[in-house]
Amino acid sequence: MDTLKPEIARLFAAKEARRHKLAALPFPEKVRAVVRLQEMAAPVLRARGIKVRVWKLDDRVV
Amino acid sequence: MKRTLQVLNELERGGVIERYAIGGAMGATFYVEPLLTFDLDVFVLLPRSAAGLLSLAPLYEALRARGYTEEGECVFIEGVPVQFLPAYNALLDEALREARETSYEEAPTRVVRAEHLIAICLQTGRDKDRERVRIFREQAELDMGYLAGVLKRHGLEGKWKQWTP
Repeated sequence: MDTLKPEIARLFAAKEARRHKLAALPFPEKVRAVVRLQEMAAPVLRARGIKVRVWKLDDRVV
Repeated sequence: MKRTLQVLNELERGGVIERYAIGGAMGATFYVEPLLTFDLDVFVLLPRSAAGLLSLAPLYEALRARGYTEEGECVFIEGVPVQFLPAYNALLDEALREARETSYEEAPTRVVRAEHLIAICLQTGRDKDRERVRIFREQAELDMGYLAGVLKRHGLEGKWKQWTP
């Protein structure tokens, strides 16, 4: 079986650590992150003909 | 979303719904990294009609009366598309009754427990549910004893073994 080069393994470990850090955020911050994900994904999905709407958060400063 | 949850709380206080809890991807996001979703899945226990029937119609009517519009399977409540899913089996019923009380920007709300969300994924059984179970196992703090009880009560131990070799 192939083994990962140490620098690639380190990158994967850093990615994993970031995901755990995100998982530990307070819920309202995660909701704001989801809306940012929606903003990023919406144009791509719309270009593929998928109708989506980005949430309007009442507590969001635009 | 705070206003959305306040509206759900008002519906519950008014008896339009008996109880609600956030589930789906947003429920999962409570326990793990933020997951992309465009709908807020809300599980609901509905009051029975005089004829003993369970129907979403009174809920939709109450929302229409407040000026909220339906689009496909969702109702837009204060800028958030909400998909209501009635508790249609014993697992969802238990998940709703044992949901975790929390708050979002001072609005009280409930989120389905991580262990129940896992059981619901196992029961639903799609590829994306399998992926979600993997994320839960990797990132969420799970009460394994509680999870074992849920899986046993709802006949999901075999599926759990199959998905978590």
